Amino acid sequence: MANILLNVLIAFLMGSILFGLQRKIMARIQMRPGPPVIQHLLHTFKFFVKESSFPKTAAMPFYIAITAMLCVIWVSAVIVGPVTQGSLLLIFAIYALHKIVEHNAGSSSGSPYGKLSCVRAVFSAAAEVPLFAVLIIIYFKTGTMDLSQIIGFQTTNGPLIYSIPLAAAMFFVLILSKAPYSPFAITKGKDIISGYETEHFGLLRGYLMISESIAWYMLLWVFLTVFIGGLNPLMYLVGMVILSTVVAFINATTPILNPNHSIMMQASLALIGVVGSLILLL
Amino acid sequence: MSETIYLLYILSFVLGSILGLVMSYKKYKAPYAIGNVDILALISAVVGWFMVLNSILIPFIAPYITITIGVFLLALVLGMRPGYGRNETFIGIIIAGMIWIIRTVIL
Repeated sequence: MANILLNVLIAFLMGSILFGLQRKIMARIQMRPGPPVIQHLLHTFKFFVKESSFPKTAAMPFYIAITAMLCVIWVSAVIVGPVTQGSLLLIFAIYALHKIVEHNAGSSSGSPYGKLSCVRAVFSAAAEVPLFAVLIIIYFKTGTMDLSQIIGFQTTNGPLIYSIPLAAAMFFVLILSKAPYSPFAITKGKDIISGYETEHFGLLRGYLMISESIAWYMLLWVFLTVFIGGLNPLMYLVGMVILSTVVAFINATTPILNPNHSIMMQASLALIGVVGSLILLL
Repeated sequence: MSETIYLLYILSFVLGSILGLVMSYKKYKAPYAIGNVDILALISAVVGWFMVLNSILIPFIAPYITITIGVFLLALVLGMRPGYGRNETFIGIIIAGMIWIIRTVIL
Protein backbone atom coordinates (compact mmCIF):
# COMPACT_ATOMS: atom_id res chain seq x y z
CA MET A 1 0.00 0.00 0.00
CA ALA A 2 2.82 2.38 0.93
CA ASN A 3 4.53 1.53 -2.35
CA ILE A 4 1.37 2.41 -4.30
CA LEU A 5 0.98 5.74 -2.48
CA LEU A 6 4.65 6.52 -3.03
CA ASN A 7 4.46 5.82 -6.77
CA VAL A 8 1.17 7.69 -7.24
CA LEU A 9 2.62 10.73 -5.46
CA ILE A 10 5.76 10.61 -7.60
CA ALA A 11 3.62 10.22 -10.76
CA PHE A 12 1.41 13.18 -9.86
CA LEU A 13 4.25 15.52 -8.87
CA MET A 14 6.52 14.55 -11.76
CA GLY A 15 3.67 14.72 -14.29
CA SER A 16 2.74 18.20 -13.07
CA ILE A 17 6.33 19.47 -13.13
CA LEU A 18 6.84 18.03 -16.64
CA PHE A 19 3.68 19.79 -17.86
CA GLY A 20 5.04 23.02 -16.33
CA LEU A 21 8.42 22.47 -17.97
CA GLN A 22 6.69 21.92 -21.29
CA ARG A 23 4.83 25.24 -21.00
CA LYS A 24 8.03 27.03 -20.01
CA ILE A 25 9.97 25.67 -22.99
CA MET A 26 7.10 26.48 -25.36
CA ALA A 27 7.03 30.04 -24.01
CA ARG A 28 10.79 30.53 -24.45
CA ILE A 29 10.57 29.28 -28.06
CA GLN A 30 7.78 31.80 -28.64
CA MET A 31 9.94 34.59 -27.09
CA ARG A 32 7.80 34.89 -23.93
CA PRO A 33 9.06 34.61 -20.31
CA GLY A 34 6.44 31.91 -19.66
CA PRO A 35 4.98 30.70 -16.36
CA PRO A 36 7.09 29.17 -13.55
CA VAL A 37 7.88 25.46 -13.96
CA ILE A 38 5.55 24.56 -11.08
CA GLN A 39 2.63 26.52 -12.57
CA HIS A 40 0.63 23.41 -13.50
CA LEU A 41 1.05 22.03 -9.99
CA LEU A 42 -0.02 25.33 -8.39
CA HIS A 43 -2.98 25.41 -10.79
CA THR A 44 -4.04 21.95 -9.61
CA PHE A 45 -3.80 22.93 -5.94
CA LYS A 46 -5.69 26.15 -6.66
CA PHE A 47 -8.73 24.25 -7.89
CA PHE A 48 -8.99 22.39 -4.58
CA VAL A 49 -9.64 25.66 -2.71
CA LYS A 50 -11.95 27.14 -5.35
CA GLU A 51 -15.72 26.96 -5.07
CA SER A 52 -17.24 23.92 -6.77
CA SER A 53 -20.40 24.73 -8.70
CA PHE A 54 -22.53 22.37 -10.74
CA PRO A 55 -24.29 23.27 -14.02
CA LYS A 56 -28.07 22.81 -14.12
CA THR A 57 -27.67 20.78 -17.28
CA ALA A 58 -25.25 18.28 -15.64
CA ALA A 59 -26.23 14.60 -15.62
CA MET A 60 -25.91 13.78 -11.90
CA PRO A 61 -24.33 11.76 -10.34
CA PHE A 62 -22.45 10.78 -13.50
CA TYR A 63 -21.00 14.28 -13.85
CA ILE A 64 -19.22 13.92 -10.48
CA ALA A 65 -18.42 10.20 -10.72
CA ILE A 66 -16.58 10.63 -14.03
CA THR A 67 -13.81 12.69 -12.39
CA ALA A 68 -13.27 9.99 -9.76
CA MET A 69 -13.26 7.35 -12.51
CA LEU A 70 -10.51 9.16 -14.40
CA CYS A 71 -8.44 9.30 -11.20
CA VAL A 72 -9.06 5.62 -10.45
CA ILE A 73 -8.05 4.37 -13.90
CA TRP A 74 -4.73 6.24 -13.88
CA VAL A 75 -3.96 5.20 -10.31
CA SER A 76 -4.63 1.65 -11.57
CA ALA A 77 -2.12 2.30 -14.37
CA VAL A 78 0.50 3.21 -11.76
CA ILE A 79 -0.24 -0.05 -9.92
CA VAL A 80 0.01 -2.09 -13.13
CA GLY A 81 3.11 -0.21 -14.28
CA PRO A 82 5.81 0.95 -11.82
CA VAL A 83 4.43 -0.92 -8.77
CA THR A 84 3.81 -4.46 -10.06
CA GLN A 85 5.21 -4.35 -13.63
CA GLY A 86 2.16 -6.27 -14.80
CA SER A 87 0.69 -6.76 -18.26
CA LEU A 88 0.94 -4.25 -21.08
CA LEU A 89 -2.55 -5.36 -22.11
CA LEU A 90 -3.94 -3.86 -18.91
CA ILE A 91 -2.26 -0.54 -19.70
CA PHE A 92 -3.86 -0.72 -23.16
CA ALA A 93 -7.26 -1.35 -21.53
CA ILE A 94 -6.71 1.60 -19.19
CA TYR A 95 -5.94 3.85 -22.15
CA ALA A 96 -9.10 2.69 -23.93
CA LEU A 97 -11.06 3.46 -20.73
CA HIS A 98 -9.46 6.90 -20.65
CA LYS A 99 -10.94 7.62 -24.08
CA ILE A 100 -14.38 6.52 -22.84
CA VAL A 101 -14.06 8.71 -19.75
CA GLU A 102 -13.00 11.69 -21.93
CA HIS A 103 -16.14 11.09 -24.00
CA ASN A 104 -18.42 10.83 -20.95
CA ALA A 105 -16.88 13.78 -19.11
CA GLY A 106 -17.76 15.92 -22.12
CA SER A 107 -21.31 14.67 -22.48
CA SER A 108 -22.18 14.64 -18.75
CA SER A 109 -21.95 18.42 -18.29
CA GLY A 110 -24.53 19.27 -20.95
CA SER A 111 -22.32 22.09 -22.25
CA PRO A 112 -22.08 22.45 -26.05
CA TYR A 113 -18.28 22.72 -25.73
CA GLY A 114 -18.18 19.53 -23.67
CA LYS A 115 -20.42 17.77 -26.16
CA LEU A 116 -18.24 18.77 -29.08
CA SER A 117 -15.20 17.51 -27.17
CA CYS A 118 -17.13 14.29 -26.43
CA VAL A 119 -17.70 13.75 -30.15
CA ARG A 120 -14.04 14.49 -30.86
CA ALA A 121 -12.98 11.99 -28.15
CA VAL A 122 -14.80 9.21 -30.01
CA PHE A 123 -13.43 10.48 -33.29
CA SER A 124 -9.84 10.57 -31.97
CA ALA A 125 -10.19 7.13 -30.35
CA ALA A 126 -10.48 5.75 -33.88
CA ALA A 127 -6.87 6.84 -34.44
CA GLU A 128 -5.32 6.75 -30.97
CA VAL A 129 -6.39 3.24 -30.03
CA PRO A 130 -4.82 1.79 -33.24
CA LEU A 131 -1.67 3.79 -32.37
CA PHE A 132 -1.59 2.16 -28.94
CA ALA A 133 -2.22 -1.19 -30.63
CA VAL A 134 1.18 -0.76 -32.26
CA LEU A 135 2.37 -2.26 -28.97
CA ILE A 136 1.21 -5.63 -30.34
CA ILE A 137 4.40 -5.48 -32.42
CA ILE A 138 6.20 -5.86 -29.11
CA TYR A 139 4.45 -9.18 -28.59
CA PHE A 140 5.65 -10.43 -31.97
CA LYS A 141 9.17 -9.33 -31.12
CA THR A 142 9.44 -10.44 -27.48
CA GLY A 143 6.76 -13.15 -27.24
CA THR A 144 5.29 -11.58 -24.11
CA MET A 145 3.07 -8.72 -22.98
CA ASP A 146 4.40 -8.82 -19.44
CA LEU A 147 6.33 -5.67 -18.55
CA SER A 148 8.88 -7.41 -16.32
CA GLN A 149 9.60 -9.97 -19.07
CA ILE A 150 9.88 -7.21 -21.70
CA ILE A 151 12.46 -5.50 -19.45
CA GLY A 152 14.28 -8.85 -19.12
CA PHE A 153 14.22 -9.31 -22.91
CA GLN A 154 15.85 -5.91 -23.38
CA THR A 155 18.51 -6.66 -20.77
CA THR A 156 19.74 -9.56 -22.91
CA ASN A 157 18.89 -8.30 -26.43
CA GLY A 158 19.27 -4.52 -26.16
CA PRO A 159 16.61 -1.78 -26.24
CA LEU A 160 13.60 -2.40 -28.48
CA ILE A 161 13.84 1.13 -29.88
CA TYR A 162 16.68 -0.13 -32.13
CA SER A 163 14.90 -3.25 -33.37
CA ILE A 164 11.36 -1.83 -33.77
CA PRO A 165 11.92 1.93 -34.21
CA LEU A 166 8.67 2.48 -36.13
CA ALA A 167 6.62 1.11 -33.22
CA ALA A 168 8.47 3.52 -30.90
CA ALA A 169 7.78 6.40 -33.28
CA MET A 170 4.08 5.52 -33.37
CA PHE A 171 3.89 5.38 -29.60
CA PHE A 172 5.58 8.78 -29.50
CA VAL A 173 2.81 10.14 -31.75
CA LEU A 174 0.31 8.81 -29.21
CA ILE A 175 2.17 10.56 -26.38
CA LEU A 176 2.17 13.74 -28.46
CA SER A 177 -1.58 13.55 -28.91
CA LYS A 178 -2.07 13.58 -25.12
CA ALA A 179 0.06 16.69 -24.59
CA PRO A 180 -1.73 20.00 -24.10
CA TYR A 181 -1.40 22.39 -27.09
CA SER A 182 -0.27 19.53 -29.34
CA PRO A 183 -1.30 19.43 -33.02
CA PHE A 184 -3.40 16.33 -32.24
CA ALA A 185 -5.05 17.61 -29.01
CA ILE A 186 -8.43 18.06 -30.66
CA THR A 187 -10.45 17.11 -27.55
CA LYS A 188 -9.07 20.16 -25.78
CA GLY A 189 -8.64 22.51 -28.71
CA LYS A 190 -8.95 26.19 -27.79
CA ASP A 191 -11.86 26.52 -30.24
CA ILE A 192 -13.91 24.54 -27.71
CA ILE A 193 -12.53 26.41 -24.62
CA SER A 194 -11.18 23.55 -22.44
CA GLY A 195 -13.03 20.72 -24.20
CA TYR A 196 -14.52 18.11 -21.90
CA GLU A 197 -13.20 19.98 -18.84
CA THR A 198 -14.95 23.26 -19.67
CA GLU A 199 -17.86 22.78 -17.25
CA HIS A 200 -15.94 21.05 -14.45
CA PHE A 201 -15.10 23.55 -11.73
CA GLY A 202 -13.31 23.60 -8.37
CA LEU A 203 -12.62 20.26 -6.77
CA LEU A 204 -13.77 18.27 -9.81
CA ARG A 205 -11.36 20.14 -12.08
CA GLY A 206 -8.60 19.50 -9.53
CA TYR A 207 -9.23 15.74 -9.78
CA LEU A 208 -9.19 15.93 -13.58
CA MET A 209 -5.85 17.76 -13.49
CA ILE A 210 -4.34 15.24 -11.06
CA SER A 211 -5.41 12.44 -13.40
CA GLU A 212 -3.91 14.19 -16.42
CA SER A 213 -0.58 14.63 -14.66
CA ILE A 214 -0.50 10.94 -13.68
CA ALA A 215 -1.52 9.99 -17.24
CA TRP A 216 1.34 12.03 -18.72
CA TYR A 217 3.87 10.43 -16.35
CA MET A 218 2.52 6.96 -17.10
CA LEU A 219 2.63 7.35 -20.89
CA LEU A 220 6.26 8.49 -20.68
CA TRP A 221 7.02 5.67 -18.24
CA VAL A 222 5.52 3.07 -20.59
CA PHE A 223 7.49 4.47 -23.53
CA LEU A 224 10.79 4.40 -21.66
CA THR A 225 10.18 0.99 -20.08
CA VAL A 226 8.96 -0.72 -23.24
CA PHE A 227 11.40 0.77 -25.74
CA ILE A 228 14.51 1.52 -23.66
CA GLY A 229 14.24 -1.01 -20.83
CA GLY A 230 14.22 -0.97 -17.03
CA LEU A 231 15.95 2.22 -15.91
CA ASN A 232 16.89 3.62 -12.51
CA PRO A 233 14.77 6.55 -11.25
CA LEU A 234 17.37 9.12 -12.34
CA MET A 235 17.42 7.81 -15.92
CA TYR A 236 13.60 7.75 -15.98
CA LEU A 237 13.71 11.40 -14.92
CA VAL A 238 16.24 12.28 -17.64
CA GLY A 239 14.24 10.34 -20.27
CA MET A 240 10.99 12.03 -19.28
CA VAL A 241 12.56 15.49 -19.38
CA ILE A 242 14.00 14.79 -22.86
CA LEU A 243 10.67 13.48 -24.20
CA SER A 244 8.75 16.42 -22.69
CA THR A 245 11.26 18.85 -24.21
CA VAL A 246 10.87 17.30 -27.68
CA VAL A 247 7.08 17.44 -27.32
CA ALA A 248 7.32 21.10 -26.22
CA PHE A 249 9.35 21.96 -29.34
CA ILE A 250 6.76 20.29 -31.58
CA ASN A 251 3.84 21.95 -29.78
CA ALA A 252 5.42 25.39 -29.83
CA THR A 253 6.01 25.34 -33.57
CA THR A 254 2.93 23.48 -34.83
CA PRO A 255 -0.67 24.74 -34.88
CA ILE A 256 -3.51 22.47 -33.75
CA LEU A 257 -4.84 20.48 -36.67
CA ASN A 258 -8.39 20.38 -37.91
CA PRO A 259 -10.03 17.24 -36.34
CA ASN A 260 -10.34 15.52 -39.75
CA HIS A 261 -6.70 16.15 -40.57
CA SER A 262 -5.57 15.13 -37.09
CA ILE A 263 -7.36 11.76 -37.29
CA MET A 264 -6.26 11.06 -40.84
CA MET A 265 -2.64 11.86 -40.00
CA GLN A 266 -2.68 9.69 -36.86
CA ALA A 267 -4.43 6.82 -38.64
CA SER A 268 -1.94 7.03 -41.54
CA LEU A 269 0.99 7.01 -39.11
CA ALA A 270 -0.52 4.02 -37.28
CA LEU A 271 -0.86 2.14 -40.59
CA ILE A 272 2.73 2.96 -41.57
CA GLY A 273 3.88 1.90 -38.09
CA VAL A 274 2.12 -1.46 -38.09
CA VAL A 275 2.90 -2.43 -41.69
CA GLY A 276 6.47 -1.09 -41.53
CA SER A 277 7.21 -2.85 -38.24
CA LEU A 278 5.79 -6.14 -39.54
CA ILE A 279 8.00 -5.85 -42.64
CA LEU A 280 11.03 -5.13 -40.43
CA LEU A 281 10.20 -8.19 -38.30
CA LEU A 282 10.03 -10.54 -41.30
CA MET B 1 14.19 3.01 -0.67
CA SER B 2 15.51 4.76 -3.78
CA GLU B 3 11.96 5.81 -4.74
CA THR B 4 11.48 7.39 -1.31
CA ILE B 5 14.66 9.40 -1.81
CA TYR B 6 13.49 10.56 -5.25
CA LEU B 7 10.16 11.62 -3.74
CA LEU B 8 12.20 13.60 -1.20
CA TYR B 9 14.06 15.35 -4.04
CA ILE B 10 10.81 16.12 -5.87
CA LEU B 11 9.19 17.53 -2.70
CA SER B 12 12.33 19.57 -2.04
CA PHE B 13 12.13 20.95 -5.61
CA VAL B 14 8.44 21.83 -5.25
CA LEU B 15 8.89 23.53 -1.86
CA GLY B 16 11.95 25.44 -3.09
CA SER B 17 10.11 26.59 -6.22
CA ILE B 18 7.06 27.78 -4.27
CA LEU B 19 9.22 29.64 -1.75
CA GLY B 20 11.34 31.16 -4.54
CA LEU B 21 8.20 32.30 -6.36
CA VAL B 22 6.66 33.90 -3.27
CA MET B 23 9.90 35.60 -2.19
CA SER B 24 10.72 36.93 -5.67
CA TYR B 25 7.21 38.42 -6.04
CA LYS B 26 7.75 40.24 -2.72
CA LYS B 27 11.25 41.39 -3.65
CA TYR B 28 10.70 42.49 -7.26
CA LYS B 29 7.86 44.65 -8.51
CA ALA B 30 8.96 45.06 -12.15
CA PRO B 31 7.54 42.36 -14.47
CA TYR B 32 10.85 41.56 -16.16
CA ALA B 33 14.55 42.14 -15.37
CA ILE B 34 17.14 42.32 -18.12
CA GLY B 35 20.82 41.80 -17.39
CA ASN B 36 20.67 42.26 -13.59
CA VAL B 37 22.20 39.62 -11.32
CA ASP B 38 20.82 39.09 -7.80
CA ILE B 39 23.81 38.23 -5.59
CA LEU B 40 21.79 36.19 -3.08
CA ALA B 41 20.12 34.22 -5.86
CA LEU B 42 23.49 33.70 -7.50
CA ILE B 43 25.00 32.27 -4.30
CA SER B 44 21.94 30.04 -3.84
CA ALA B 45 22.17 28.77 -7.43
CA VAL B 46 25.91 28.12 -7.34
CA VAL B 47 25.77 26.34 -3.95
CA GLY B 48 22.64 24.40 -4.97
CA TRP B 49 23.98 23.14 -8.30
CA PHE B 50 27.36 22.39 -6.69
CA MET B 51 25.70 20.28 -3.97
CA VAL B 52 23.60 18.37 -6.52
CA LEU B 53 26.36 17.63 -9.02
CA ASN B 54 29.26 17.27 -6.58
CA SER B 55 27.67 15.80 -3.45
CA ILE B 56 30.56 13.31 -3.27
CA LEU B 57 32.94 16.18 -2.40
CA ILE B 58 31.11 16.67 0.93
CA PRO B 59 31.91 13.31 2.57
CA PHE B 60 30.75 14.12 6.10
CA ILE B 61 27.08 14.39 5.04
CA ALA B 62 25.06 11.56 3.47
CA PRO B 63 24.70 12.25 -0.34
CA TYR B 64 20.89 12.19 -0.28
CA ILE B 65 20.84 14.96 2.36
CA THR B 66 23.31 17.07 0.36
CA ILE B 67 21.30 16.57 -2.83
CA THR B 68 17.99 17.34 -1.11
CA ILE B 69 19.39 20.64 0.23
CA GLY B 70 21.01 21.36 -3.15
CA VAL B 71 17.75 20.74 -5.03
CA PHE B 72 15.95 23.07 -2.60
CA LEU B 73 18.51 25.85 -3.14
CA LEU B 74 18.56 25.57 -6.93
CA ALA B 75 14.75 25.42 -7.02
CA LEU B 76 14.63 28.69 -5.02
CA VAL B 77 16.28 30.42 -7.99
CA LEU B 78 14.74 28.33 -10.79
CA GLY B 79 11.27 28.96 -9.36
CA MET B 80 11.59 32.75 -9.20
CA ARG B 81 8.91 34.82 -10.90
CA PRO B 82 8.99 34.82 -14.73
CA GLY B 83 11.86 36.92 -16.07
CA TYR B 84 14.05 36.48 -12.98
CA GLY B 85 16.68 33.93 -11.91
CA ARG B 86 17.67 32.82 -15.41
CA ASN B 87 21.19 34.27 -15.46
CA GLU B 88 21.88 33.07 -11.92
CA THR B 89 20.79 29.54 -12.82
CA PHE B 90 23.01 29.44 -15.90
CA ILE B 91 26.03 30.69 -13.93
CA GLY B 92 25.31 28.07 -11.23
CA ILE B 93 25.09 25.24 -13.78
CA ILE B 94 28.30 26.37 -15.54
CA ILE B 95 30.36 26.62 -12.30
CA ALA B 96 29.05 23.33 -10.84
CA GLY B 97 29.39 21.66 -14.24
CA MET B 98 33.00 22.78 -14.59
CA ILE B 99 33.84 21.40 -11.14
CA TRP B 100 32.10 18.13 -12.10
CA ILE B 101 34.10 17.90 -15.36
CA ILE B 102 37.39 18.67 -13.55
CA ARG B 103 36.57 16.06 -10.89
CA THR B 104 35.44 13.24 -13.16
CA VAL B 105 37.18 13.79 -16.51
CA ILE B 106 40.42 15.68 -15.89
CA LEU B 107 41.50 14.37 -12.44
